[in-house]
Amino acid sequence: MNKTLRKWRSCLWILALSPVLQLQAQPADDESTPWFQQTTDTGKYAVILTGAAASDEIAERFARWTRELHNILRDDYGYATDNIRVLIDDGQRMEGVTVTASSTLTDIADSLSVLRGEIGAGDQVTLFMIGHGSGTFGEAKFNNVGPDMTGADLAAMLEGFTEQDMVIVNTTSASFEFSRELSALGRVVVSATRSPSERYDPVFAGFMIAGLQDHTADLDRNGRVSVLELFNYTTGRVAAWYDDLGRLATENAVLDDTGDGLFSREPGATQADGLLAEIAYIDVIVPEAEKSSPQAQALRAEMQALERDIFILRNQKQNYLEDDYWSRLEALLIDLATRTRTYNALP
Amino acid sequence: MHYLNLISLNWLRTAALLVCLTATVAPAHIFAQEPTAGLNPSTQELLDRGNELLLRGSYLAAIEVLSRVDDEFFQDQADLGLSQAHIETGQYAQAEAVLQRALEEPADHPELATRLAELYVMTGRSAQAEALLAEVIAGQLNPPVRTLVQYGLVRTLHGDRDAADEYFNAALARYDSGMVFESADVAMVAVAARQLDEFHDANALFSEAIRLDDSNLEALVLWGDLFQEKFNDQDAQTNYNEALEVNRRYAPALVGLARIESPERNLSRALDANSRSVAALATFGELMIRNGREEEGLGFLRQALDINPESIPALATLAARAAMNDDMDEFERLRERVNAFSPESASFYASVAEFLGNNYRFTEAVEYARRAIDRDPRNWHAHTVLGGNLVRLGEESEGKRHLEQAFDNDPFNVLTSNMLQVFDVLEEYATLESEHFRVNMSQRDAQILWPYMEPLLEDGWDRLVAKYGFEPEVPVVIQVFERTEDFAVRSVGLPDIGPLVGICFGKVVTLISPDTLSANWQEIVWHELVHVFTLQMTHNRMPRWLSEGISTWEERQGRPEWGRRQGLDLIRAVQQDRLLPVGNLNDAFTGANSNADLSFAYFQSFLVVEYIAEQYGFEDLLALIHEFAEIKDESEMFANVFGVDMETFDAGFRAWIDQRVADINVYVHAEDSPDEGEGHGHGVRENSSAILAELYNNESLKQYMQGRVQREPRDFQAHLQLGIVLFREEAYSEAITHLRTAHELLPDYTGYPSPSLVLAQVYEAMGNEEAQREQLAIMLEHQQHDFAAPLQLAEHALQVGDLDQAAYYVERAMAVNPYRPEVHRLGAELASRQGDTGRTVQEYEVLLTLDQNDPVAARTDLAQAYLDNSQPDDARMTVLRALETAPTYERAQQILLQAVEPAEGD
Repeated sequence: MNKTLRKWRSCLWILALSPVLQLQAQPADDESTPWFQQTTDTGKYAVILTGAAASDEIAERFARWTRELHNILRDDYGYATDNIRVLIDDGQRMEGVTVTASSTLTDIADSLSVLRGEIGAGDQVTLFMIGHGSGTFGEAKFNNVGPDMTGADLAAMLEGFTEQDMVIVNTTSASFEFSRELSALGRVVVSATRSPSERYDPVFAGFMIAGLQDHTADLDRNGRVSVLELFNYTTGRVAAWYDDLGRLATENAVLDDTGDGLFSREPGATQADGLLAEIAYIDVIVPEAEKSSPQAQALRAEMQALERDIFILRNQKQNYLEDDYWSRLEALLIDLATRTRTYNALP
Repeated sequence: MHYLNLISLNWLRTAALLVCLTATVAPAHIFAQEPTAGLNPSTQELLDRGNELLLRGSYLAAIEVLSRVDDEFFQDQADLGLSQAHIETGQYAQAEAVLQRALEEPADHPELATRLAELYVMTGRSAQAEALLAEVIAGQLNPPVRTLVQYGLVRTLHGDRDAADEYFNAALARYDSGMVFESADVAMVAVAARQLDEFHDANALFSEAIRLDDSNLEALVLWGDLFQEKFNDQDAQTNYNEALEVNRRYAPALVGLARIESPERNLSRALDANSRSVAALATFGELMIRNGREEEGLGFLRQALDINPESIPALATLAARAAMNDDMDEFERLRERVNAFSPESASFYASVAEFLGNNYRFTEAVEYARRAIDRDPRNWHAHTVLGGNLVRLGEESEGKRHLEQAFDNDPFNVLTSNMLQVFDVLEEYATLESEHFRVNMSQRDAQILWPYMEPLLEDGWDRLVAKYGFEPEVPVVIQVFERTEDFAVRSVGLPDIGPLVGICFGKVVTLISPDTLSANWQEIVWHELVHVFTLQMTHNRMPRWLSEGISTWEERQGRPEWGRRQGLDLIRAVQQDRLLPVGNLNDAFTGANSNADLSFAYFQSFLVVEYIAEQYGFEDLLALIHEFAEIKDESEMFANVFGVDMETFDAGFRAWIDQRVADINVYVHAEDSPDEGEGHGHGVRENSSAILAELYNNESLKQYMQGRVQREPRDFQAHLQLGIVLFREEAYSEAITHLRTAHELLPDYTGYPSPSLVLAQVYEAMGNEEAQREQLAIMLEHQQHDFAAPLQLAEHALQVGDLDQAAYYVERAMAVNPYRPEVHRLGAELASRQGDTGRTVQEYEVLLTLDQNDPVAARTDLAQAYLDNSQPDDARMTVLRALETAPTYERAQQILLQAVEPAEGD
């Protein structure tokens, strides 16, 4: 496990490049992670699992979130309609959304089985769970119509997705124990809560959808939203929401992407978790028009090299004196900015 | 009996007498409750029963029973109990008569003699006490512990602390040698330890004394006093209550409890038990004088001094009062009186200093605390008093030094440690300076609040200097605390300060950070700033009612929307005849029993000042302020300025009030609840009746209110509630009619909800945005504590390009809550459109602190603002941090290149 982790860290500078440059980045085989190596050929699928609601008002909220999420993925993130599977409550019709099935245990199992047969190696599946959860230690459940689905049930259903990249975002109450069952190597798992005692309905899903809307959560302005960015944006908004109301937060989201079942509250470069989530993008990668002149291609290669140098420097920040770090970074950034300006001016 | 004969008679007597010393000794279970029926009780039974009665507070019965003891062997025990019972009921002469026997051979009756000496001290004959105790000690190889300690206390009183320490140490040595067994004696050793500043040992010894006998009332109270001396009221209270559970008439416990809770009730109970309790009388006297009830207070103090002419607390209170009144002849007379028995008493000076400090006379308090320390550098209480008052004068470093010295030697003093902890808080705070102010506030407030507070302070300074013709001593220190507890400790030493949000000490102002309030913080700052002027103009001699009245009156002068509009409260107060004569207005503050009372005290004080300004003019108000710089009778000052006596002034004020009520001309129904707000008067006042109407759509309520309106067409509250109910029924047209009527009846009503606020909601529901905004604007003419409305109006003004209106409403929103990012986003956009690059920078700097959701965008916006404001270096450093996260962000890249290009061209 540690060995794998070190490999991820060492190759991060390549994997985290900007979208344009990433398409051309060719990390050395011995340095690359086997997960989330995304290209324009990578197929992206989303499964939205929406459970039963405790009241009409909550049902309306779950349905709204489901619809908004579906539409955002379709309209802003490049997902083909067929690649978004919506399994909701008892399978009722939703205006503007093709509902695949209900969210009964059987339908979930069947739908995932069908999906597994349709997708190829290297494709990415993002599973969003909306609804109520419940559970005590070792017995966490997703409250769906019919027998509730346990974390172990879903983990078993996902066992067949061995060749795909998997992201699971569980926004339900008391979701932690359930989510922990889903941890696996190469998988990014987000839980809206960090303990079974956080059993009030979270507001996480609403802010997550707001973060996806208009790419608001794209904090590094590279045009795409990574799972880590989405997590950080959403947790920040959730905390602010509780703060504004003067209430103690009854939900604290966590993330695990090392497969060890140990989740982090603040994943990122200095934490065990976060490195995979940083390169796991929600967006479908679409090819961009490239400038074909030799000068443009040369400049592009130089920009790519500069960007790589910036990432290396940033990841080694702690090894430099403060002034030295900023001085080096400034030189690289000025160089990159100058070349970007020149590149943009080329026909 | 045979066995007893084998034991030294002297030892036996000693042991027996010790058992009776405090009337708290024998376990309750050995006492017979009733004499044996049909038989004469034995001497032992009489003693047991008498002591039990004494312990439980049945003093007269105890006297009767103990008087019946006629047995030479047990006589000393009986006399001790008897004298104690007399003392507890204030019959000091009878107690003395009982103890007279000891004078024949004091060394043969050491306990009786010691009790007699204590009685001498209680009744102002400390010299006789010292002589008697000296005789006992001289005549005994091993004098009782109590004798040693009482002798030490008398020597301390007489100013011979070194000699006293010798006896306190002797008591401790006795304990160390294992020769102290009884609870009463252990408690005396605790007293000795306390006198030697061994506070930890004193605490442990009191604990042991109570463990030995949990009914030792004297020990419980002395231990409680130790806690209270250290401002640990909670533990003190526990001790006093435990004593009172045993004996609910035990005056020393009631006096101790009175210093913590329900002072008048507990002191009255103490005096019911012992009408001649000097401690109760002196405490009552101080309380009354502190609350402005001078004559009553003086009466109590005179009674205390009649009984004990050597009562330092009573003499110190009188001396402090004399110093407060600049009557230095009287002060000197009292000082000489103390000097006659306790030369240059440190505790006398410390008490005077504490009293003066509590009455805002910090300069004089410092002077007397210094005298206490000169006399006794080990008086740690005096160090604490000095430190606390120096801090209030802005002399922080010297104040801290004294507090640290006090804490190092007396670490159990809660007040000292609290105050020092606030210094730790302040060390983390930013110190900011403007021309006339030095301000401490959290780093967060330094970023967010200071940019808006600084111009307010300096603008206020300029206006008030011009208006009052007075320039206060600078720098004025302002401390803004994020935690209410820190604000309270800095202000009063303890973490509970009630509803107050700002306090001015003359040169120092303490405030609660606006981040914890829902009120117009600018008005609060202004209010306190006015105090700086009026307090300094009068050397802190202005009474609270006038100082608060002027500060509240100046609120309205500061901004049109500031100030208090409590028309309904005024009408209600007149109906209920609650207006106080001007001469008694201070009582409205000291006697306030609720937030509503306190709030009305501010309001009535404001009305008096407004009356003066309207009827006599500002110059006369100014003259009145100057009058208060000298100590004079209030009626003399009023006569000097207004040419009338207080009664005539009061009559004029009442006539003016009556006219004001007539002008308001609104019917106030007796059943309506008054509006509720914070006691300090800053912040929204809720109209609870109207809020209920908002919650319920109630047919019977509607009918009831319609009936009221028919009976009294000028019933404001009924119209408002009808409007709300009709609005909830979506009967918009009718609702508008009643709400407009309510507004016309009382256009400056500022309660929540107000007619204009509900009207705005009605128009919003009707989709009439223009009318909604019009009503919000009307509401904001008088309602200063609303944040959402000015924000909405500012946003609209920006949309339609009315930059002046936008600026006005952004400022209004900022005055309520500068911690919300949305107001700064509007402010930044406004400043940018106005071409005010400096203000744009300021708004984006604040936004960077407030808005953590998108730091790249926040930094990029700020960098652009720096660039526009010709701050390329700041722009460069800021945008570098944005690009560190987002290196390919082209907008940021362009700013970086623009920021460095001039440098490259150089």
